[in-house]
Amino acid sequence: MKKFLALLLSMILALSLAACGGDSGQPDPTVDKPAGTQQPADSGNEPAESEGKTVKVGLICIGDENDQGYTYNFIRGKEAATEALAAKGINVEWVTKWNIGEDSGCEDANIELADEGCDLIINNSFGFEPFMLKVAPDYPEIEFIACTNQASWGDNLDNTHNAFANIYEGRYLAGVVAGMKLQQMIDEGTISADKAVIGYVGAFSFAEVISGFTSYFLGARSVCPSVTMKVQFVGSWSDATEEANAASALADMGCVMISQHSDNTTPATTAQTKGVFHTGYNNDMISVAPEASLIGTRINWAPYFEYAIESVANGESFDQDWCHGMDMDAVVMTDLNEAIAAPGTAEKLAEVEEQIRSGKLQVFDTSTFTIEGKALESAFALDTDGDFTPDSEEAVFDGAFHESYFQSAPYFALSIDGIEWLNSAF
Amino acid sequence: MNHEKKIPLIRLAKRDGMESWKVWCIRCGSILFALLLGALVMALAGANPVTAYGTMISGALGKKSAIRQTVKIAVPLLGCALAIAPCFKMRFWNIGAEGQITAGAIAASYFALFWANRLPSPVLLLVMGLAGAAAGGLWALIPAFFKAKWNTNETLFTLMMNYIIIGVVRWLQGGPWEGRKGSQIIPQFDEAACLPRVLGVHCGWIIVLVLVFFMHVYMNHTKHGYEIAVIGDSINTARYAGMNVGRVMMRTMFLSGAISGIVGFIVASGANNTLYDGVAGGVGFTSITVAWLSQLNAFAMVGISGLLAVLSKGAETLQTRMAVPTSISDIITGILLFCMLGCEFFINYKLIFRGAGRKEARHE
Repeated sequence: MKKFLALLLSMILALSLAACGGDSGQPDPTVDKPAGTQQPADSGNEPAESEGKTVKVGLICIGDENDQGYTYNFIRGKEAATEALAAKGINVEWVTKWNIGEDSGCEDANIELADEGCDLIINNSFGFEPFMLKVAPDYPEIEFIACTNQASWGDNLDNTHNAFANIYEGRYLAGVVAGMKLQQMIDEGTISADKAVIGYVGAFSFAEVISGFTSYFLGARSVCPSVTMKVQFVGSWSDATEEANAASALADMGCVMISQHSDNTTPATTAQTKGVFHTGYNNDMISVAPEASLIGTRINWAPYFEYAIESVANGESFDQDWCHGMDMDAVVMTDLNEAIAAPGTAEKLAEVEEQIRSGKLQVFDTSTFTIEGKALESAFALDTDGDFTPDSEEAVFDGAFHESYFQSAPYFALSIDGIEWLNSAF
Repeated sequence: MNHEKKIPLIRLAKRDGMESWKVWCIRCGSILFALLLGALVMALAGANPVTAYGTMISGALGKKSAIRQTVKIAVPLLGCALAIAPCFKMRFWNIGAEGQITAGAIAASYFALFWANRLPSPVLLLVMGLAGAAAGGLWALIPAFFKAKWNTNETLFTLMMNYIIIGVVRWLQGGPWEGRKGSQIIPQFDEAACLPRVLGVHCGWIIVLVLVFFMHVYMNHTKHGYEIAVIGDSINTARYAGMNVGRVMMRTMFLSGAISGIVGFIVASGANNTLYDGVAGGVGFTSITVAWLSQLNAFAMVGISGLLAVLSKGAETLQTRMAVPTSISDIITGILLFCMLGCEFFINYKLIFRGAGRKEARHE
């Protein structure tokens, strides 16, 4: 038995020596070239010699770029901003944290990035903000951004920021494309006017979602007066199967156009299988559903990232609550699927886009919709006492509901006539 | 020669007692072996293993703020390992700690959300802790009752109970306790309902350290602990000695669930300051490993949970500094745990090779 023990120990020793040998041979190239894993740092250092300004930016993501949706969209913004800033002589060194949960792990991620010497830390998910706010007071010299959330106007901290985009503008345009297609179908006799029904797959009955589908509906109705809409909430921001089920159920209920506010492409593919049309969100979905997907819209984070990082690089303060739309290309449309879109869509799209840019067209024009048969005359925008019901700042003036005007995060949460909520449990 | 062929190449035989220095040699060897295997994985992922291990250590222990975060990760692991230790000693396979933590967190959160302005902070925290313990204990008592009465399978039962209670939290998140409409987020607790910080970390670490001593005494120096040990060795012996096995099972499970419930209270009140469906976050399962690696020794659990916390925090830093995916660190943690648990096999059994066996036989 002793012999065996000796054998075992010597085997372990031999193995470990062998493994050691292997390792000591390998590190040499990696020591010289950690760049293989740290491209941003490396590419950031090269031009630094000639120009000088380098900003270290932390980015905390709820998913990773493989989601091809929400987080991927941030990564596109990050890359575009880096390029634009490099042209201005500002080098960005990114430190990205993937797959962080909306819990104390997010607090840890903020602390870790702060300790790593980041000048600016960007939190990409709504639920990150409360945890970010626990860290921000301890690092007054670091700027913290909570994308899509809303506390910065009232948290008494100078170094916290919120940002969003007027995505309702993009939704409205996508609605115009959908409405034109529906009107074409009516004109060609494929469907009767009362059968122009849109099915909308929504995540939750959350203001951001409600604001999105309402603007989409108003866009569609501006070119197809007889349109109505059914909304099915799935109870998840990202659940491929549930989203497909919801799209399928909507198509079975007679919806001939599907749109979505959820992360996956399954509503698009389901629409194609069911022989109906679709408009997307976050990403171009034409490649997965070439016979159904007409167009998509997404937030372009690059202009904001560029603005915020440039301000930090120059030591300037920047907006605590930032929200822009097509005026700064913060909202963009993906390619129009000309093969299946109604004729003249591209021209109409350009025309409406111009009207939105110039401010001539208000998306939530109160003359275009009613609530329980009455025109909207008053609605509050902000919740100041923390009971989650808006209680101050009148959002309705100059003939329109002013979305994302008093704070960047959407606050239109009304149920307008013509849109049927199939389930509001979520 | 014919007879020789029938002997398998390797045979296993139980070892009886090995000198303790040899045992520790094998254990250290296995850790070393695991670290080397891990180094290989890192090298394959394109990171220099020496720098990577250095980064993990410095990321977990290099700074005050890093140590605080590491401790914060270790607290629920340790607490939960302490909770399941008596069950496992009794050979009652409670893999429902995840649900018991969640049950405790729900009860504590109820008081945090609705009683915060009615009670002074210390009283509120005490009530939250007691409510958490009661809820966790009751949640654990259900499978124990069925086991004691009808001998149901406790492994499946406790596991399934996890999904029920996590579903309850999802419902609360989107329903009655939801903050902003549609957000699926329960508001942050009032400050009075948050565990105060001691040395920069919420004082849950003090609570679990007290529990370490309690559990050590309970398991080794009380009649209850003795009964648990006897039942674990042989239920029939326990019956023969006149113990009420069902009662001991229910009592032990209640205690186990209660401690898990306290962990739930600590996590909700101390770390997250809110309740959400991931409040247990896999701790209920990871702590099983902690308990086994520590061989159910309460003091060893402090070290093992600390080690896992260092690995976990180190993995985060590794991702931050060297852009190594956290999944690589998960692989390394897995290898380490596998080797550490696996080496116990070599401590308990010996391998007899065909040739060696013949020689040994001749000697004998």
